[in-house]
Amino acid sequence: MTDPLLDATQLSMRYGATVALHPIDLSVGVGEFVAIVGVNGCGKSTLLRALAEVLPAAGKSGAVRLHGASYSSRDAARLRAFVPQRPELAAEFTARAVVGLGRFASTPSTDAVERALHAVGLHGKGDRLVTTLSGGERQRVALARALAQLDGAERPILLLDEPFAGIDPAEVARVVTALRAVAARGAVLCSLHDPGLARCIAHRALVLREGRVVADGPAANILVPTVLTKAYGHAMEESKSWIIPSLLPEPAPFR
Amino acid sequence: MTARAMLPRFFFLSLVLCCAALVRVAIGPVGTDEGVRLVMGVPSADIAQLRVLSVVSAALVGAALGLSGLALQVLMRNPLASPFVLGISSGAGFGVACVLVLGALGVFSSRIFFGEAIGAILGAACTLGIVARLGRTTDGEDTTALLLAGVILGSMFSAGTMLLEHLVPHGLRGDLLSWMAGRLPEIPNRAQLATLAVVTVLAWIVLARVSKALDVSMLSDDEARSSGVALHALRRKLFWTGGVLAGVAVAYAGPIGFVGLVGPHIARRLLGPHHGLLVPGSALAGALLLVSADAVRQVFDLGSGRLPVGVVTALAGGPAFLWLLRRGSGR
Repeated sequence: MTDPLLDATQLSMRYGATVALHPIDLSVGVGEFVAIVGVNGCGKSTLLRALAEVLPAAGKSGAVRLHGASYSSRDAARLRAFVPQRPELAAEFTARAVVGLGRFASTPSTDAVERALHAVGLHGKGDRLVTTLSGGERQRVALARALAQLDGAERPILLLDEPFAGIDPAEVARVVTALRAVAARGAVLCSLHDPGLARCIAHRALVLREGRVVADGPAANILVPTVLTKAYGHAMEESKSWIIPSLLPEPAPFR
Repeated sequence: MTARAMLPRFFFLSLVLCCAALVRVAIGPVGTDEGVRLVMGVPSADIAQLRVLSVVSAALVGAALGLSGLALQVLMRNPLASPFVLGISSGAGFGVACVLVLGALGVFSSRIFFGEAIGAILGAACTLGIVARLGRTTDGEDTTALLLAGVILGSMFSAGTMLLEHLVPHGLRGDLLSWMAGRLPEIPNRAQLATLAVVTVLAWIVLARVSKALDVSMLSDDEARSSGVALHALRRKLFWTGGVLAGVAVAYAGPIGFVGLVGPHIARRLLGPHHGLLVPGSALAGALLLVSADAVRQVFDLGSGRLPVGVVTALAGGPAFLWLLRRGSGR
């Protein structure tokens, strides 16, 4: 691995007496697509929020460095974007306006917004109010906002919490293509409930259990029934009947 | 529609405010041999000057309440938030009543606006802090808890103000009573008006400078923070801007209800959700509402003088609030 894009040292989080995340050291390099898997409540969202530095200060410890340095939140926003599990919107904005909000820390760019809408397949619905879109479309608007935020970044870091929730298979394939393009230039970390899909799209997998990393390595080696059976506490097996969307070939990694 | 496409609507709102101001200057009671009559026409220079001052004071109080309402709605992420609904006006009123009582007891040598304003701002800030604390849950703000806390605290502060009313001398009691109903001074004090103008313009500038961050803060907290918005600092600005504006407006004109709630909603319907236009739009809509209410109250004389403007805004704003509540719950 070359110089790390994202470096986390002794990252931990507790909510009162409950430890959500035990101290974790993590390093992610250029070109990596990392899937984070594990049972509900194992700390996937907390880890991603900690890496995005959006957790409340109380109970949090450890440090996150981007490109080997610490940045102000505004400067960090030009390098790193985060999409939570449940994106919210408390105003009647159009899809295009929401995607445009991603450019808050950078120069406004109509082209970046249009590219991001196109990447998630919403170029024809940019003028629709987000409140009139379906759940899956809203999720794609949130993804497009993050893509627009990182448009122009040389080595972007994208953190996604369950990015495919509510999205139909054909659109999953389209979104994966967009995410792979980001990963080819920088890095993508995303939590996924489906280990099968995770194995198809990720290079590296992190398996969490009770707030600890119990396995970390190449997705093809980690996301196998023996490891997952321990992680999920339930017997897992390979299946050929599971249907997933066919994905486009990966783009060449960033040089 | 883009913000640029909304500009004609913005100018339309400004034009309607100018028309309302002209009507208010033209309308007013005139003493005749048969008693006091309502007359509409070009007034004499002296009367016109007084009425223009009244229009300016109504417009400034309305603008302050409109901006305060917008700041609180963004802060609470709740379109039903306003200084009146959240009990902030009553809290500010209680602060002013405390200052008046202390003045009557000789703690202050005379009634001073700044003392009242500081009392009002402290009362507003305390109420806002308590309501925000009571309405917060682990998942964020609970709208029902927020509104209930505002209503209960508002009732408690109103009762406290009434209690204090019995402690002030008789001469001051009438003043306090009409002030509690929300009244615009018949003869505005220029120094107080200048203070109100400075505070309103400064608050306007503060909100206008963060208008893009206000747009992003409409996303979830995590999305806004990861987009580069310093959310804590932004909310502190909104807290103080909303509290100070409500406090100064209440110190000047008493607790006038619903302008802070309805003003931003009118602006939102006309100008869309972008705060670049919503900030000036809420100020304009608030000013329009209060100048119009001041013109309407000139029409009604129930034999004991003109109605306090707070009665007109409550009669018109109450149904508007219920409509918003119904619309918000999707019925």
